Amino acid sequence: MDLEKLSEKYHARQVEVHPDKFSGATEKNKLRAVQLTSYLNEAYSTLKSPIKRAAYLLTINGLNVESVSQNDLGMDLLLEQMQLRESLDALPKDESALTTLGHLKSEVGEKLNLKQNIFSREFALGELAQAKRTFHELQFLHKLLLEIESGEEQRLGY
Amino acid sequence: MALLKISEPGEKSAIPVHRFAVGIDLGTTNSLVSTSSGQDTEVLPDDAGKYLLPSVVQYSAEVDPVVGKIAIAAAINDPKNTISSVKRLLGRSIEEVLAAPQFKHYDFDTERTDSIPAIITAAGIKDSVQISADILRTLVDRAEKFLGGKLEGAVITVPAYFNDAQRQQTKDAARLIGLNVLRLLNEPTAAAVAYGLDSRDEGNVVVFDLGGGTFDVSLLSLKKGIFEVLATSGDTLLGGDDFDYLLAAWIKSEVSPTTELNSMEEAELLRLANLAKHQLSDQNETSLNYLGWSGVITRAKFAKLCESLITRTISTCRRVLRDASLSVEEIDNIVLVGGSTRMPLVRDSVAEFFGKVPLTDFDPDKVVAIGAGIQADVLIGNKSVDDFLLLDVNPLSLGIETMGELVEKIIPRNTTIPAAKAQEFTTFKDGQTAMSLHVVQGERELVSDCRSLARFELRDIPPMVAGAAKIRVTFQVDADGLLSVMAEELSTGKTAEVQVKPSYGLDADSIEEMLSSSHENAKEDMEIRALREAQIEARQLIDAISSARSIDGQLLIAQEAMRIEEVVAQLQLLMEQGTSVQIHELTEELNRLSSEFASRRMDLHIGEALRGESIDEVEQ
Repeated sequence: MDLEKLSEKYHARQVEVHPDKFSGATEKNKLRAVQLTSYLNEAYSTLKSPIKRAAYLLTINGLNVESVSQNDLGMDLLLEQMQLRESLDALPKDESALTTLGHLKSEVGEKLNLKQNIFSREFALGELAQAKRTFHELQFLHKLLLEIESGEEQRLGY
Repeated sequence: MALLKISEPGEKSAIPVHRFAVGIDLGTTNSLVSTSSGQDTEVLPDDAGKYLLPSVVQYSAEVDPVVGKIAIAAAINDPKNTISSVKRLLGRSIEEVLAAPQFKHYDFDTERTDSIPAIITAAGIKDSVQISADILRTLVDRAEKFLGGKLEGAVITVPAYFNDAQRQQTKDAARLIGLNVLRLLNEPTAAAVAYGLDSRDEGNVVVFDLGGGTFDVSLLSLKKGIFEVLATSGDTLLGGDDFDYLLAAWIKSEVSPTTELNSMEEAELLRLANLAKHQLSDQNETSLNYLGWSGVITRAKFAKLCESLITRTISTCRRVLRDASLSVEEIDNIVLVGGSTRMPLVRDSVAEFFGKVPLTDFDPDKVVAIGAGIQADVLIGNKSVDDFLLLDVNPLSLGIETMGELVEKIIPRNTTIPAAKAQEFTTFKDGQTAMSLHVVQGERELVSDCRSLARFELRDIPPMVAGAAKIRVTFQVDADGLLSVMAEELSTGKTAEVQVKPSYGLDADSIEEMLSSSHENAKEDMEIRALREAQIEARQLIDAISSARSIDGQLLIAQEAMRIEEVVAQLQLLMEQGTSVQIHELTEELNRLSSEFASRRMDLHIGEALRGESIDEVEQ
């Protein structure tokens, strides 16, 4: 995904639909501008984020990403997740944990990158069931990353 | 009319109606009003040539509220009736306000626990919205006097980190005086507009805005006229005032730590601290005299006292960089906004953190008002030289309470607005027929740690087993950053809707009065508008006839010319004194009289065109 190009197209659309361009319009058209812009913003944030984009790609190909069955997830993945989460909980609640959190963050980040590449390949080859499985793994990692980040923020006092 | 225009290829098709709109920076310490004429935007001075209106209001039983510099002078002798820093009261509960040291010399009406904070003054009980409205009114009067006409709208700036309640109350203050709010604009974004349109710089810009009572940091990407806010953060209870309080507390501890001060001594102490703070921006040390005590404070000592405040501002900068996923090296420029950034202590700390000297080309007091004036000019529909667009974000996450008093975030912070997001929820008990929705704002996981915005109920859900009902909750944040929430039960289509609005403490009479007065204003506005339109229509026709005559005057017979001149003279008189209807009717009459002349000109020009001359003019 060429983010530079995406941003350019997003800006070009914004100029067309943004409520500021309809300040003299009727109430109905103003409301429409708000709705269209909301929709455009949602579209941009979906395309910009690898995980949201993956979910969207699967959804438009008829897969329900909301439902996750046991088969979708490997046992080893679940175990690994549990271990990572436990080590996260075990960390001290003050700034001394920041270094470890930083390491964990880059570790999970690397895994995410790896899985994203796998997802792209599977999706390109049309292996949708496999891609869905990878997507759920991505979801787990992404959730974990968010938890690490919020752990950092709490310790930084944000 | 259109026919008469054929021979004026260079003339504009319509004289643009300049509509009066202003930008208002409603600050904690000072407020400003600006207006743009497309080319230039200027901050409007008062009769004495002063741009800054101190945001201080003095109430008395006899006369209208006094706002500004005169009120400041009164604060020393009449502290209980002279309200300053009212912006810090917006969106706060009475408990929060009573706990804050800086408001302890006011008498709050503690009976109104369920509504917004109100102060008992000589002119009656005044709440934070009414006090803000009195400041706004002074600015509106100044602008209308300067412009010579009624305002059709205003862009009012708010700290980027203002929550929904604070934004709503700012808008309520404008409504109270019948002022049409074109947009609530975030202060750092307004500053970025003024800076960006002036410098034409592109890249990543940090706006560091430390005002009298609020603090914001926004990170924007400037590219080809698009101002995109990537992240914003701040603290609505941190500002220049806090430097005063710390300094005052230190002076007090030096003079006599145990003595209780009365409210007049308290006010005098604050004034002294504020003065010393200002002096320390220009000199290395300053002497202090208070209640017979005299001492000296140096810049270094002052810096030491305020260390914790500075640390908080830098920590906020870090958080914004983090939210935008950018590093310090990727920041191209830093713009300083707000009077408190005049303190060398603040400037040096910001420069050190970013490894770059912040830009100081703009007057930090005026830059927000200027940006707001530019945006007002665009939103009211006046022609703007600059085609630009602002993409702003919501500063705080918006969510809903779920089981276990946890917050489910629906719209996370730093989402570009306007934004809409729907999420489905379900019932947790068999046969549950109602669902109570609690909307909150904030970053924490527990409901009790976030700010409660609204509670509402969706009733008459058909009884089903737990988890069977599907309730879709839609959050919509508009371009002002204000939230509305809608809930819908999907199987029945039953809906409930709420415009998130904290209860505003006006009694029924004042609401009635408020609504009727704004209605009157609206009616008046429409009449003024109609009159202006009629005047312009008439002016256009007179101009068109006169230029047509100068070109094709020979096509007009003497009798016609005389009759036209007569009506033109009448119309010119009416334009000064008549009503919109009278002007419109006579304009129509003149149009009829000149139509014969117009069609003769048309024939002539078509004839010329058929002889091989350019036909472009016909299309004008």
